Amino acid sequence: MSRFRIPGKGRVDHAAPVSFTFDGKTYRGLRGDTVASALLANGVHLMGRSFKYHRPRGAVSAGSEEPNALIGTSRGAGRFEPNTRATVQELRAGLVTESQNKWPSLSFDIGAVNDRAYMLFSAGFYYKTFMWPKSFWDKIYEPVIRGAAGLGKSPTEADPDHYASRYLHTDVLVIGAGPAGIAAALAAAQSGADVTLVDENPEMGGSLLSDPAVQIDGRPAWDWVDAQLGRLRAAGVRLMTRTTAIGYYHQNMVGLCQRLTDHLDTPPKGAPRERMWRVRAGQVVLAQGALEKPLVFDGNDRPGVMLAGAAQTYLHKYGVKVGDTPAVITSHDSAYYAAFDLADSGARVAAIIDTRDAVRPDLLDGARLRGIEVLSGHTVTTTRGRLRVKSVRAAPMRGTHVGTGRDIACDCLLMSGGWTPSLHLFSHTKGSLAWDGQTFLPDRKTEACEIAGAGRGLWGYADVLADGAAAGLRALEGLGRAGHPAGFRVANDRPGTGASHTELPTDGNPGKARAFIDFQNDVTAKDIRLAVREGMRSIEHVKRYTTNGMATDQGKMSNINGLMIAADALGKQPPQVGLTTFRPPYTPTSFGAFCGYLRGETFQLTRKTPIDGWAEANGAVFEPVAQWRRAWYFPRAGEDMHAAVLRECKATRASLGIFDASTLGKIEVAGPDAVEFMNRMYTNPWTKLAPGRCRYGLLLGEDGFIRDDGVIGRLSPDLFHVTTTTGGAARVLTMMEDYLQTEWPELDVWLTSTTEQWATVALNGPNALAMLKPLVQGVNWDDFPHMSCAECTVAGLPARLFRLSFTGEVGFEVNVPARHGLTLWTALMEAGKPYDITPYGTETMHVLRAEKGYIIVGQDTDGTVTPADAGLDWAVGKAKKDFVGKRSLSRPDIVAKGRKQLVGLLTEDGSLLQEGAQIVLDPDQPKPMKMVGHVTSSYHSTLGHPIAMAVIEGGFDRMGETVFIPMPDGVRKARVTSTVFYDPDNTRLKA
Amino acid sequence: MTYEKHHFAAALAVVEDLAPALRLSLRVKPAHSATLGQALGLDLPTRVGARVAAGGTEALCLGPDEWLLTAPEGTDLATPARAVYADAPHSLVDISDREISLRLSGPAVLDLLAACCPRNVAAMPVGTAARTVFDSATVILWRDGPADFRMDIWRSFAPHVRALLAQVQGELAAGL
Amino acid sequence: MLLIHCPYCEDSLPELEFAYAGEAHIARPADPSTLSDEEWRDFLFIRTNARGPHYERWRHISCGRFFNALRDTVSDRFLMTYKAGQPRPQLNEAAE
Repeated sequence: MSRFRIPGKGRVDHAAPVSFTFDGKTYRGLRGDTVASALLANGVHLMGRSFKYHRPRGAVSAGSEEPNALIGTSRGAGRFEPNTRATVQELRAGLVTESQNKWPSLSFDIGAVNDRAYMLFSAGFYYKTFMWPKSFWDKIYEPVIRGAAGLGKSPTEADPDHYASRYLHTDVLVIGAGPAGIAAALAAAQSGADVTLVDENPEMGGSLLSDPAVQIDGRPAWDWVDAQLGRLRAAGVRLMTRTTAIGYYHQNMVGLCQRLTDHLDTPPKGAPRERMWRVRAGQVVLAQGALEKPLVFDGNDRPGVMLAGAAQTYLHKYGVKVGDTPAVITSHDSAYYAAFDLADSGARVAAIIDTRDAVRPDLLDGARLRGIEVLSGHTVTTTRGRLRVKSVRAAPMRGTHVGTGRDIACDCLLMSGGWTPSLHLFSHTKGSLAWDGQTFLPDRKTEACEIAGAGRGLWGYADVLADGAAAGLRALEGLGRAGHPAGFRVANDRPGTGASHTELPTDGNPGKARAFIDFQNDVTAKDIRLAVREGMRSIEHVKRYTTNGMATDQGKMSNINGLMIAADALGKQPPQVGLTTFRPPYTPTSFGAFCGYLRGETFQLTRKTPIDGWAEANGAVFEPVAQWRRAWYFPRAGEDMHAAVLRECKATRASLGIFDASTLGKIEVAGPDAVEFMNRMYTNPWTKLAPGRCRYGLLLGEDGFIRDDGVIGRLSPDLFHVTTTTGGAARVLTMMEDYLQTEWPELDVWLTSTTEQWATVALNGPNALAMLKPLVQGVNWDDFPHMSCAECTVAGLPARLFRLSFTGEVGFEVNVPARHGLTLWTALMEAGKPYDITPYGTETMHVLRAEKGYIIVGQDTDGTVTPADAGLDWAVGKAKKDFVGKRSLSRPDIVAKGRKQLVGLLTEDGSLLQEGAQIVLDPDQPKPMKMVGHVTSSYHSTLGHPIAMAVIEGGFDRMGETVFIPMPDGVRKARVTSTVFYDPDNTRLKA
Repeated sequence: MTYEKHHFAAALAVVEDLAPALRLSLRVKPAHSATLGQALGLDLPTRVGARVAAGGTEALCLGPDEWLLTAPEGTDLATPARAVYADAPHSLVDISDREISLRLSGPAVLDLLAACCPRNVAAMPVGTAARTVFDSATVILWRDGPADFRMDIWRSFAPHVRALLAQVQGELAAGL
Repeated sequence: MLLIHCPYCEDSLPELEFAYAGEAHIARPADPSTLSDEEWRDFLFIRTNARGPHYERWRHISCGRFFNALRDTVSDRFLMTYKAGQPRPQLNEAAE
């Protein structure tokens, strides 16, 4: 039995020992322990080193607000987590833990030299130090100081665990299952409403678990809690433990992070480690209680100094006495009960030092009864002890005057500076706060929520229970339901009040006092006052200058103390200085929980075509295009990308290539006004396009810039088969729907996305026609020239056949219902064998189209390119009265000289240009040079030399001129040419 | 109190492929929807999400001027619709191959859906359907029974949706 | 994540089903060719950028409809939503 464990006491299972290690040493705890409670049971208070000064630190709390006892935990490869709070991490068999921020060991740490040099590390250290000299940035500040900073070490391996997500819709969400939350849930559940009660702890009951002597309705507190949880379960209330409400968002959306496996010896196979719940609640009841404040005095961070309420929790929940001879320093009545309970469990309480002059008579009686000395009107001026507190110096005080003190021997010091309502979630909603003279309380609400219990400043179980029940009832009424009010009889209640302080007065040199406010970021009272002296006026500036409240605990313990001291230094009331903003998450939350399922294979949505499986089986290398993955090229054994693409290009130009074009966007435009709609949307004229023919269509925005393009077939007078770019499909459909619904609702025409109805296979090459003809039925080949379309059958499959070309060779696109896509592909591959049919990917498609000067919207255009800029004036129906973007084509800046225009580029040395490279006219001009354009497309080609396209100011007037492309390894020279590098007269299409 | 037992249950949520069916997208102005309904032999519902079935054909109202018609493969709805085209101009587009359909069922099917559907699926009345999102994919979710759903997914999105469903099934099987 | 009331579906549904679509009540001129360059520029580019109640458009993925909304850009709260084509409601109507 560990020395500080009281046999039989607490909610831990004394019959179930659990072994774990801390810094390599094996300890024994009990099932139900946290790492902190188990270490304390073994007499270990020293659990870590502080961030800046490397001061030895112990657990100061027993909950999620813990700033000091941060440890690394691990469970095998990839399962290391830094900065876990020892006060939250439950014991599990074989748990491996380690302390942080120490070297070589926790008890002897070299970095503690910082503590001796603390004068150098005062408020604003970073701002003052990192100013000069500039050359120190790279050599000193970043590597050395940044390296020494930071808490815990980051894991280096991928996290092998699963994380889950869940949406939940509930009528009433109660956050916090202490007395107020339980009472609220009972009230809300009575009319059949869907109620969810969540608590961040492994067990529900809140402070009642630390106050077992309280009686409610004639039952001891723990029995009462068990009975009420049973009632809630029976009423169908969803009870969720180990579930932290991390953020409160618009319209009662609350984020909950549920920890599922960290406490288990062996997690079930496939179980997620954590689950993020996104809850939409009709009503929210905030019943998160209050957080105890430390007192601010020299040496208040020594191991063994902890919050009085934490000691009470360790005693009752875990059966752990935090010391044999505790001393108490308090400004609130609640610490007396902690002292009494410890005394009743066999501890010898050295003294209760109370900053207040007047103490409640019943508390004085209770102390007298237990033989505890009470020093009222006293302060603690310092503590002593190296790795653990050994004594505390108590001195009488009158205002800021301190009398002669005396040392009181102790092995721990329990402190209480009163209680701060947990306002974090309420503040997430931008609810306003009101100052009541001692602390901030929730005031004006912005959401449908209720705040109950200690979370709005109440103290004592009778008041808190009644308040919880009333809040639950109000939530129910907010849903338009009714319920009955409930009453609770409380015996042995523990009411209390307290006083608030800035740092406590000291008889020592105030300049040397190490009175900590923010334990985790090592911010002292002196730092706050220095910040004010140096000109910080707003609490937001004080915060950033000192880093008070900026650690992982977000100042749960430090914000109010920091504010009190800053206000004092400024001579203002705290509300005039303001409170810093609380932001989600309430407690540190793993990245995994935020990612949920969106990692690995499901990291993001990846669309696959019906032919994707064939491509994969045939060795395709894929590239992402919009949400799709597309076959990029099909390397054969020994081929690199360049060789494969060149082979695919040549095979297509020489004989026959086959390409999966299924990702092309397709829109069915149907209805009596289809042609009118097409005339209004696209630049081209459509009225005279006969059924069975197709046309290149160009789509602009109202600003006159190119948005999309594609070949559009007219299948019948009322029916157009529109194709869009792969990436533009959804955008174009939305744009068309927008015009139709909101500008031209009178038109009788409708749009349907058929992108995925059809699998599309492109055939290109001089043998395309010969190969395809025998497979097609229903096409009159005598009247099926380039730019024709027909509904027919191909290889026995119902098809829409387009004769068009994006390569400059004779080409077809065969559309068949998607389920037949793979069948069609394999049939064409078979039929193409005599022609050495060659599958090609998007890279070859790009090369072949670039050789012909066909643009890719989004690559050769960037949202500032007009049809004229791209050399596509021919596609604009100038006789049309109006179309989307037409008016913009005559705007002054669109018709002005010097616009960037799309041209071809051929390098003088035959080298390949880089896409995105900037172009200048004079490479010898002083920097910064005037850039006149950039390379938009650049490829090796089948022509024996690389080709490129570029947008260049006044490019059309620069044909034959030389331009310059400065690159890191030298300036390239290139000649401006036409964008059509191959078969400018289209002779191959007419073949 | 702090140690919990875990219950493992099989087949909490079942995912099955459904055979292809005829699916048509019908777009017609509300003023003409009754004429179209008459031609097709059913009253086109007018509330978004409502379904009406008659003679093997089911119509789901997806929007004020949009219906999804489903019927056994081979059903000819195009001919009767074309007959009223002049009086009730409309668009009737075969989208049978655009989506694939899954059946999702089992006692934990609502949890399966709640993993990735932000909409309150539990509140969907049986016999309705909704176009909504599952993770980042747009899907049509049909509720055929308290624990019986169908999901239509654009074909290319299906691998992503299936992979997510499989992950959640594993999570449900683990019992946590 | 907001809940947005779709005036066509007559239901309040999660924001993930909706897409923002710019400021509302900016109609495309019936005959753009009659507009001066300045008028056309204003139509293209000049927006209210309201601090506070803002008339704007959203599209609902479920019914596919564009609709209008009045949203307070300070509080990010919807004051009301209404169907496309309906006249711009006055602020006091939205408050009721």
